[in-house]
Amino acid sequence: MMRYVLGRLGGVVLILLAVCLFTYLIFFKLSPDPAVMICGKTCTPERIDSIRDVLGLNQPLLTQFWDFLSGIFAGRDYGSVHCSAPCLGYSFQTNESVWSMITARLPVSITVAVGAAVLWLLVGVIGGLVSAVKQGTWWDRSAMGLALGGVSVPNYVLALVLQYVLVVKLQLLPFPSAVPFADDPLLWLESYLMPWVVLAVGYACLYARLTRSNVIDTLAENYYRTARAKGLSGALIMRRHALRPALTPITTIFGMDFAGLLGGALITETVFGLNGIGKMAADSIAKNDQPVIMAVTLLAAFFVVIGNVVVDLLYTALDPRVRVVSS
Amino acid sequence: MSDELFVVDNLTVTLPTSRGPVDVVKNVSFTVGRDETVGIVGESGSGKSMTALAVLGLLPRGARTSGSVRLDGAELLGRSDRDLKSVRGNAISMVFQDPLSSLNPYYTVGLQIEEMYRTHRGGTRRAARRVAIEALERVHIPDAARRVDHYPHQFSGGMRQRVMIAMALCCSPSLLIADEPTTALDVTVQAQILELLSELQSTTGTGMMFITHDLAVISSIAQRVLVMQSGDPVEYGTAEQVFSDPRHEYTRMLLDAVPRIDDEVAL
Repeated sequence: MMRYVLGRLGGVVLILLAVCLFTYLIFFKLSPDPAVMICGKTCTPERIDSIRDVLGLNQPLLTQFWDFLSGIFAGRDYGSVHCSAPCLGYSFQTNESVWSMITARLPVSITVAVGAAVLWLLVGVIGGLVSAVKQGTWWDRSAMGLALGGVSVPNYVLALVLQYVLVVKLQLLPFPSAVPFADDPLLWLESYLMPWVVLAVGYACLYARLTRSNVIDTLAENYYRTARAKGLSGALIMRRHALRPALTPITTIFGMDFAGLLGGALITETVFGLNGIGKMAADSIAKNDQPVIMAVTLLAAFFVVIGNVVVDLLYTALDPRVRVVSS
Repeated sequence: MSDELFVVDNLTVTLPTSRGPVDVVKNVSFTVGRDETVGIVGESGSGKSMTALAVLGLLPRGARTSGSVRLDGAELLGRSDRDLKSVRGNAISMVFQDPLSSLNPYYTVGLQIEEMYRTHRGGTRRAARRVAIEALERVHIPDAARRVDHYPHQFSGGMRQRVMIAMALCCSPSLLIADEPTTALDVTVQAQILELLSELQSTTGTGMMFITHDLAVISSIAQRVLVMQSGDPVEYGTAEQVFSDPRHEYTRMLLDAVPRIDDEVAL
């Protein structure tokens, strides 16, 4: 088991290195010259040269990449400015440290992701479960029809409609803003409610359909029939012989989806003007702010890769068949 | 009052299909005495398994039944699901065809035996665990105290079927329904399982309803035989009678279909 875990972690390091290299190449080598971008309108060739020198752009590519990497772990110097570890460079737009931009915005994205996840798990799994048990009834048909519709609605449409109806017309909720929970719990809840719902709707519909089909498959399993033939109570049959096998695969998908969201919910954050990682990504792309683009790409990759490993390790705990193969 | 343990009288099972209701079991009658094994033989689709499922009230949704099924004189047909729970696994238990898919892969075999024992007999987990180990020992699983914590996929096919049998017998039922218990197994393992079932039956006195399509298997284990063809009972009698002097054309056909070692084969 230990060897398996170490092997997986080794894989993680390799994947993240590869992602680093590719993003570095794409954003620093295939994009417009960063020195020209920083220099702005009143620019002289001498100034461009000195910026190149400070950023290390005159160095060979591998040296530049090495400086970038070692900056993350050990910090680095840009001319007279020291950027302490973890150093992801400075924004071309605001000259702010990219790392401090991330740490300031990450809590917002995490709040959005966790809230939405709780919502979609509750609604999706319970809805799918009820549908499976009441298979073929009017409840099942309308729930699944609704789920199909829900998956099809783009979340920016839903976001704008909700915002117009609840905030502008009915004035039930304030315009969302990233209020910390400690400042005003009620306002916090009201602010995040719409982003949570908007983000959760698509996932909830998907999870409801998934849960339903998994549970229906499980109810057709021979071991489910065995459990009934054993005379077990309905609750025990449901819990052990229907839910556990049906929901285990859902943890895999949930791990991926949730990890993906930690890297920022781009559309939802942008539409609601929430200053999270997703909005930061959108802004930086619009302004070609390369250090920031690169940092958010790395961050998203980091969450997805780590999410994958966590899911795999969790799976060995959840499914005994996987556990034995891995040991 | 007869000495019969289990009586099936004029059982008819009707399933709804897209082309209207279909009788998959028609007027089937047979009895199982204490300590007796009755074989039910037929091709797939002959209604053997439906007969078994009807006994425990485990038919697919929408199925209808008529006739009478009595265990120790008590009527089982038409009882509520809740009511039948105390019968299932307790007075009548069942062993299925494919032991791998019939055991839940997520739980140890011990837990799957314990949950059944505790449902019907109550008691602590520790007591149930002791019962599970004893049950595994009774079906000759070596090192039962350790194997009780293993998962189904860690057992071989034959051993899994032994686990199923151990589970089926842990509450000392008066009737065991074995639905093709040897079909998914190797021939040598088949023989071991049949031997085990006979041995357990002689020590526990459990009546057995043994369902199979394999006449060779039936001839070695059953005292009485019911032959079924597309839901109809075509022949019913003692094993000796049915095998030595089959009255019905279909039974003769089934018997002829069994390959024999002294058959001449055209090459």
